[in-house]
Amino acid sequence: MIRSRHNSSGAFGMALFALIALLPIGFSLGYAAAYSVGLAGLLSEGFTLEHWARLFSDGEVGRAFGLSLYVAAVTVALSVSLALALLLFLRRPLKEGPLSYVIYFPLAIPATVAAFLVFQLFSGAGYAARWLLHFGVIDDVAQMPNLVNDPYAFGIILAHVSLATPFFILLFAQLYETEKVEALAETARTLGASRRACLYRVAVPILLTRSFTNVILLFIFVFGSYEIPLLLGRQSPQMVSVLTMRKYAMFDLTQKPEAFIVAWLYTALVLALIGWAFRSGRAGGRV
Amino acid sequence: MNGPFPATRSPRRLLRGAAAVLLALACLFPFAYLILLSLAKAWPFPDLLPRALSFDLWARVLTGPSDLGASFLLSCALSLVVASLSTAAGFVTGKFIAYHPARKKLLFLAYLPFIMSPVILGTCLMYLYLKLDLAGNAAGVALAQTMFAYGFAIVFFSAFWNPEIKALEDLVFTLGGSTFDAYRRVLLPVSKGMLLICFFQTFLISWFQYGLTLLIGTGKVQTLPVKVYDYVNEANLFYAAMASCLLILPPAALLWVNKRFVFNEMREG
Repeated sequence: MIRSRHNSSGAFGMALFALIALLPIGFSLGYAAAYSVGLAGLLSEGFTLEHWARLFSDGEVGRAFGLSLYVAAVTVALSVSLALALLLFLRRPLKEGPLSYVIYFPLAIPATVAAFLVFQLFSGAGYAARWLLHFGVIDDVAQMPNLVNDPYAFGIILAHVSLATPFFILLFAQLYETEKVEALAETARTLGASRRACLYRVAVPILLTRSFTNVILLFIFVFGSYEIPLLLGRQSPQMVSVLTMRKYAMFDLTQKPEAFIVAWLYTALVLALIGWAFRSGRAGGRV
Repeated sequence: MNGPFPATRSPRRLLRGAAAVLLALACLFPFAYLILLSLAKAWPFPDLLPRALSFDLWARVLTGPSDLGASFLLSCALSLVVASLSTAAGFVTGKFIAYHPARKKLLFLAYLPFIMSPVILGTCLMYLYLKLDLAGNAAGVALAQTMFAYGFAIVFFSAFWNPEIKALEDLVFTLGGSTFDAYRRVLLPVSKGMLLICFFQTFLISWFQYGLTLLIGTGKVQTLPVKVYDYVNEANLFYAAMASCLLILPPAALLWVNKRFVFNEMREG
């Protein structure tokens, strides 16, 4: 009796899940696959692997994936390291006092605004250039290093790091309390461990292990980000989302199958990463 | 101060204080800069501060019908609809998945809409939305955003539904209560805080969404993030700053009110 009552609301939950998420995603990915091999679309002329072959021969997609991987990896490494360092160095101010309040404010900044801010601050005649000129660090705007739309994606990485670091500081601060890191580190000290050993063998491993899923999610989010590279990136190479949108929205319909191929490759990568997180048994908790 | 990583020397304490002040300033700087830029009447290079400030832009938005005011109201309405739908649906589906024998596999599927790039998935969804006549209107944008927010809500609630909650629900049934009683008298009161947090989070997912709104809305659904980009592309920096302020100040105020409450539940369980 009780079981059947659970099942009745469960069936409704499953129906919602299928209707809102699974069916549209399944259909759209199926359509994208069909389009990529010439089985759908206005210009379809039957099954062909020509689009796949063309895509891999020109190297544009490879460069887009390479750039996205680079930006995501550097962002994750910088954000997590910076957040860890700041948390361990500023534990007390982050726990009490004004900083414990203002550290929440950056969470209210969306990617759109972060991109606009980085553009305003670090473009050629941006706010940073005004200060450098004011203090005599540079004599002319032309001396300002190119930090936006640059080949090393400095602007893109900076925008992502500035968004992710406050989140990770707060996440690590919570984990520090809930995982009782301080008590464990003190126990280690009592048993003769040095301060450095406490840091690198107790605190850091616990925080990194418990935040593993969030780190993977950050990597995936940055890899597929759109707003920030759209404003701060270069025309070539472009990050994966920007490339997909460009190829999809172009007037040249022959580019559309390539957009769907990129979407499929991206989906495969995301599935592999999430599958890895699930297999390692760390995903499936709260986000 | 007596912890395993203590700061006993005063230079280190000074350094810590300075670092805390710098970090606080870095957190506040974007807000101060955007407000200043939105109030600036003229800010030529290489001035460090605007030559004149004016409340004209703000007054125009707050007192009369304007593009930005309309975009603000549209963003509010869209986000409220998306947050309500996805929180309610995620609550029910999260329960189904949490108690299902194949929990892990279903949760894996629930992660998909949540973690996929909205723009990439949106390009694949576009054909379906065009066929259903949902492209280029607010209803289509709301539905598309709901799909992504719903994925988040499922993952969020799947950790909430645990054996303890199930035992409480079973107790209602054992005592003769109906499913309606279980929800009204036990499950909803117990989950009130979680529902509020999920509503807030899904509201933000919709509030901040740009790429998907642009794609499914075909540029016709002018939410605040779309406005910010439009103004940046037009090199209309003062309006872009104004739109950015409207975009970030409401969530900042909500975060200020709910800070610990919101974040305590965001961490990984």
